[in-house]
Amino acid sequence: MTLQQKTLQRYRLLFPNDTLREISARTGIQITRVFRLFNGKIMKVGELEVFEKVINVKISENPSFASLNTAVEEASSILTNDELAKVAEYIKRKITARTYGRMYIRTNYESAIIA
Amino acid sequence: MKGLSSLERIILESIGKQSLVYEEIQVQTGLHENVCFNVLQALVIRGLITTDGVRYKISNSLSPLLLEEINGIAAKQAESLELMEAILEQKTGRVFRLQKIAMDSRDEKIFLAMLSNLESFLVDAHKKAHATIPMKERKVIFWGMGEVKNAMSQIVMGN
Repeated sequence: MTLQQKTLQRYRLLFPNDTLREISARTGIQITRVFRLFNGKIMKVGELEVFEKVINVKISENPSFASLNTAVEEASSILTNDELAKVAEYIKRKITARTYGRMYIRTNYESAIIA
Repeated sequence: MKGLSSLERIILESIGKQSLVYEEIQVQTGLHENVCFNVLQALVIRGLITTDGVRYKISNSLSPLLLEEINGIAAKQAESLELMEAILEQKTGRVFRLQKIAMDSRDEKIFLAMLSNLESFLVDAHKKAHATIPMKERKVIFWGMGEVKNAMSQIVMGN
């Protein structure tokens, strides 16, 4: 998966119900351009940065995220491989449970077209 | 994620050896319709259950590798922790006690015998009522015992 696809997927996970118009308003990118980007058109660096910025702003609304990041960095240098695997497994389980609780989110970009 | 999530296990256990329609599974599990549908789809994709579009049943061609993956010790442990954590976080309708008890060897034997009795009681109770009580109304019960020094060592050393 390319960086662009990863970024758009993360965006979709954070804003699953955004319409093209809302994405355009949030990012300042023209609506037709947003449509093209979600359909695989290659992004410009500036556009990627805008999406990353919107994602980071959304994430920073949750103060525990910074704490998690710090803990993960520390854990990676202190915990054993098995312990890291357990932590990763624990987080994955949380993610799976939450994902089931959400509306079905397609991993491709069809949802953007529907929106 | 390795193994099954508790949600996936609940659905598999609800289906059991039967072939159920979506509504029956939802009534059995008590899951929100959206969650129930998502979990069912995930199980179909993983090849754990099959569907003809209406009825769902557990696939009868599960590979030993897949069975090991979903029933292996590590997967079961993670699943148990997930369920126990959910119970601990409940504000009402649950009972939980955890204590460090000083126990001589005689009392320990008595306690283990009582646990054995408890297990027999639970097996009988389940046998008696499992046909009439849907999955969502069943109780999650867990018990156990370990040594404080071993637990401390585990916590410090991680192995």
